[in-house]
Amino acid sequence: MAQVAFGVWDGVVHDASKRAGDAQSSISALKNFNEFDDGNPIRAFFGDRGFFVFDETVSLVDGLFHYMNKAAEESCGACTPCRMGTVLVRDALDAMRRGIDSPLDFDEIEILGEQMTETSLCGLGKTCSVALLDVIRNFRDRIEKEVAVKRPIRAQHGMAYMTAPCIEACPSKINVPRYIDYIRDGKPENSLGVLLQKYPMAATCGRVCVRYCEEACRRKFVDEAVGIKTLKRYVADQQKGPNALKFTRDMIRKPLADGMRVAVVGAGPAGISCAYHLLLQGYHVDLFEKHEQAGGMAQIGIPSYRLPKDTLAMETDIIAALGGRFLFGQQLGRDFTVEDLFARGYKAVFLGLGCQAGTALGVEGEEHARGGYHRGIDFLLKVHDHVAGVRNLDLSGEVVVVGAGNVAMDCVRSAVRLGADNVHVVYRRTRQDMPADDEEIVAADHEGIHLHTLTNPTRILTEDGNVVGVELVKMEQTEPDESGRRKVRPIPGTEYTIPCDTIVAAIGQQVEDEAMVESDGIAFNRWKCVETDDALLTSRPGVFAGGDCVTGPSTLIYAMSAGLQAARNINDWIQLGTIRFFKRTRMRQLLEDNRILANDVVETPVRAAYRVHNPALDPELRKHMFGEVEQTISNREAYAEAQRCMRCYRVYSVITQHSIPEGAV
Amino acid sequence: MWTIDNEVIGRDPAEATVSLTINGKACTAFPNETILHCARRHDIYIPTLCELDDIDHTPGTCRVCIVEIVQAGREIEQFVTSCNTPVGEGMVVQTRTPKVRAMQKLQVELLMADHLQDCATCTRHGDCELQDLAQFVGLKENRFFDRQRTEAREVDESSPALIRDMRRCVRCQRCVAVCRYHQEVDALVMSGTGVNRLVSLRHGFEQASSTCVSCGQCVLVCPTGALGERDETDRALDYICDPEFTTVVQFAPAVRVAFGEEFGMPPGTNVQGHVIAACRKIGVDVVLDTNFAADVVIMEEGIELLERLKAGRKPTFTSCCPAWINFAEIHYPDILPLLSSTKSPQQVLSTLAKTYLPEKLGVPQEKIRVISIMPCTAKKDEAVRPQLAIGDMPETDVVLTTREFARLLRREGIDLKDLEPSEFDNPYMSEFTGAGAIFGTTGGVMEAAVRTIYAVVNGEELEDVELTQLRGFEGVRTATVNLGGPFGDVKVAMCHGLGDTRALVEKVRSGDADFDFIEIMACPGGCVDGGGSLRSKKAYLPLALARRETIYNVDRTRKVRQSHNNEQVKTLYRDFLDAPNSEKAHKLLHTHYSERSRDMHQTVKEVWDDITMSTMLY
Repeated sequence: MAQVAFGVWDGVVHDASKRAGDAQSSISALKNFNEFDDGNPIRAFFGDRGFFVFDETVSLVDGLFHYMNKAAEESCGACTPCRMGTVLVRDALDAMRRGIDSPLDFDEIEILGEQMTETSLCGLGKTCSVALLDVIRNFRDRIEKEVAVKRPIRAQHGMAYMTAPCIEACPSKINVPRYIDYIRDGKPENSLGVLLQKYPMAATCGRVCVRYCEEACRRKFVDEAVGIKTLKRYVADQQKGPNALKFTRDMIRKPLADGMRVAVVGAGPAGISCAYHLLLQGYHVDLFEKHEQAGGMAQIGIPSYRLPKDTLAMETDIIAALGGRFLFGQQLGRDFTVEDLFARGYKAVFLGLGCQAGTALGVEGEEHARGGYHRGIDFLLKVHDHVAGVRNLDLSGEVVVVGAGNVAMDCVRSAVRLGADNVHVVYRRTRQDMPADDEEIVAADHEGIHLHTLTNPTRILTEDGNVVGVELVKMEQTEPDESGRRKVRPIPGTEYTIPCDTIVAAIGQQVEDEAMVESDGIAFNRWKCVETDDALLTSRPGVFAGGDCVTGPSTLIYAMSAGLQAARNINDWIQLGTIRFFKRTRMRQLLEDNRILANDVVETPVRAAYRVHNPALDPELRKHMFGEVEQTISNREAYAEAQRCMRCYRVYSVITQHSIPEGAV
Repeated sequence: MWTIDNEVIGRDPAEATVSLTINGKACTAFPNETILHCARRHDIYIPTLCELDDIDHTPGTCRVCIVEIVQAGREIEQFVTSCNTPVGEGMVVQTRTPKVRAMQKLQVELLMADHLQDCATCTRHGDCELQDLAQFVGLKENRFFDRQRTEAREVDESSPALIRDMRRCVRCQRCVAVCRYHQEVDALVMSGTGVNRLVSLRHGFEQASSTCVSCGQCVLVCPTGALGERDETDRALDYICDPEFTTVVQFAPAVRVAFGEEFGMPPGTNVQGHVIAACRKIGVDVVLDTNFAADVVIMEEGIELLERLKAGRKPTFTSCCPAWINFAEIHYPDILPLLSSTKSPQQVLSTLAKTYLPEKLGVPQEKIRVISIMPCTAKKDEAVRPQLAIGDMPETDVVLTTREFARLLRREGIDLKDLEPSEFDNPYMSEFTGAGAIFGTTGGVMEAAVRTIYAVVNGEELEDVELTQLRGFEGVRTATVNLGGPFGDVKVAMCHGLGDTRALVEKVRSGDADFDFIEIMACPGGCVDGGGSLRSKKAYLPLALARRETIYNVDRTRKVRQSHNNEQVKTLYRDFLDAPNSEKAHKLLHTHYSERSRDMHQTVKEVWDDITMSTMLY
């Protein structure tokens, strides 16, 4: 257990030597602060709310220099106090640690620190002097002693990290304030460039992302979260039109030798993202896809009224532009095995298999239902073929969709467009419990669906194998259990049937042909997902996996982040035979374990400016077509929306005993 | 949806339901109103720099307008920027406590840390918002100035019209805002981070090769000397002082109504006579009037329009505004065939001064130097267009903006208001009509053209020459004018400001707008508020309407109000040009345009190389 020698946190002073504060209680709760990496103790920690010192011999002047140096590097320069203050203070601390005359004394540094804290525009400037002021005001004797000797201070090891709540919330760790800043600056192409550093599917993400970032956005304490997804879609439009950004091979940092080949199985979001990053690192990548098009669930699982197929194709084409090769109609287990891939000389394999087998309802009559019965994902595939003009899918009469996730909502809204007279949603829990994105539920509601909540199917009625109705039962909520969670149970005797022509079971998916994959030496866990370690390595050496086949049905952004992580680890595995320590991941863990990135409310008044919304087609019109419902916002709206970001950047740094291994540049 | 309505003038005071105190004084405010706005309504001064209320610009970046607030129900004081912080019920605001004053002062000192303070050599000396601010906050020392860092900043002198001196930029972003939201040229971006953050041209172009059209509206809002025109007062003096040359000065319709305030005269004063007297005093040989050339332009453009209408070609766009020409050539080259080929009044006058005048005055052409005084920065661009030269010799030798002309007079020790007004005395090229005079304001060219075209078509004068239906001030105005004869009703549109121009051009290109004749002036209000006009501190175009009114007064008081009735114009055609659109007129007074669209393609690699503060992480 790391012992805090002294420090200040949220204004509370801790000093072990003086037994000041009721320190030990809150501080002893610090988790995982002993070592940063193996055998490398953390000597001090600096953050937006204060600092902790674990090793009294640490140099505060040097530590504060490194912290302020990071702030100066990351200062956007928009506002006066942070732009100049960070540089002036950094230079003064630098002189002090070098043992030469400083242009500013501690009094002057304090005034500048206060100016930055009190008057800066954004979170970075407002918080980057907190630790500095805490030191000057409470432990001034220590720093004066450090500089009194006028000798260079011995260099210390460590790292500094800047982040924001939206960044930490994003699985792909997109630098959200940065790309919003670039819109404000008038450089939407740079904004897209920031996104492209993490994944190639910005336009797709800008349409269908579930927006963890917006949930974390602190603007909600003022009015509403910033329209981060809306802005992403706006900048992704830089990929279109006469001045579209060009993807060229010089994006590849260093092309590798011909033998450096990696196979990616499954060209969905995880596979595309993994292939993209491998290509950028110089590998030769082949993508094996069982369908005839790339995109995976984004292709077949998301209807074109939400994500037009040409938009997706524009993004999957990036892989080809970078030299990646798609091998369509190639299914793992049927057309090739993992064993084959290694035999063909691939150095590593990434499995992005997805979860494409729909889960059955498990009710009576289901096994006899042929005509009019679909699993959710199969239904969407048929819708896809219908829109593509491959095979017609006519619907009429009553359609019942079971389930309330995003796939269910996609089935519902597609059924409306295909001409169903009435579309019913059957869900066993309440409206509040529905797991689909709320915007999707609202949009479906506008398109006139019938919602049956606290209702569950018990039997499917068929005649000659054709669906003619479904028996439902009413459900009720139980009293909350110890964890506060309420379950549901059927109310006996409340069974009733409704006649219907089509039933869509959209209650979940799992990995297809699991047994066949398993026989290839890939272990599955008890949730029937591919088992991997933290590095996304499967039970078979050299085979990595990510996306839905590892997590179960999840989101586009998680899949893309898994692709990025896998690509990084595949590179390590091929080049070094081992996977390196990634210091930024460790820093994030430290912040998360100790809830350091406070979700604090906005204290100063901010002018209310409500978010802009994507213009949408009228429900009466859109009900009859598969054209895209939402449109892109205008330049002017994008500028206005970008102005709403408050840039909640924070800097964190550690001083460690030894140098931190470099897992990344 | 996207703007915060800062406009409270004319709002019902009953809606001011928020009570607060500022410096102990009870104030009422509108919900969501800023503290600064509320303070101004209650006549409480707060120093500001980046904010510019007239263009609804409150980026909150300079952080000078710091005030102390205590929110209702709280005890701790907070320091906030008054320009973008809303009032709150029961809020207590202090603008002048020792701590607030110290913070404001330190902020200005930090602003000065990388601002080149060679004030004596700066064109804004004595007229600079930053100097004013330093005085207000009582700045006495300048501890942080880093000359080396400051002098390393970019000075872009590539353009013949505009100079961008980033050593003097305070990053208020007013130029970006006016270019982006008002002119919608959107040529400016913010580049770099930290101390390297500065304004630059999109895609890193130089001014001269960028998408900028030199309208100069950015110069009008710049608080310091960072943006300005290329100063050519020395070149003008070189010619004026050289006995070898016969110097000819022309000045634009708008100059005479937008100049007096520099010398303490009321805004909108007509100083035509003073300008003539001043030119004589500094040694100009011949003083001519651009208004005369405006009358000639009407003759040429009017007949050209009729020819086009007969041929069924429409619409025709006017061509007298050089920023508009730049805009069309750079942003919409496909519409260039729709532009009138008639040169602008400046170039018509310069051409005649070097072709017609030498015959009349008996001075050799090569000894004539034409200096024009214009409320315009783009006229400097125009003067150096290769197609506007007689052989190797430019038609116009020097263009001075109104601001430079003021500077020139000060250099010569002249105070305009001390001068006895004088008259034009050139018998060939200085008479003008009311039609020529109104060229300086939006709708004026159209009105002048209609007066003459009507007479040409019908053989009789328009009964009422004041076409009030053309005189509104909206960004785009449309009207139908009955020209009579075979033409009947023609549809006309007048547009000022490039934001509205862009929208109109888009409509014309998509076939959604059906017009016969379209007048475009790039600057909001027209030339009376051109980018070369005098600057107003902390205000954007506050004098437009006064200047415009004076222009209409000039028209009203002219005996002759139609271009074709200008006796000197008649003489010009009789003695020299033959007839409007004659072969000779065509050769001398018409021009052509060329595509200058910019290559805006970028690769992801180029973009990545430009990105800071975010990197690939492997």
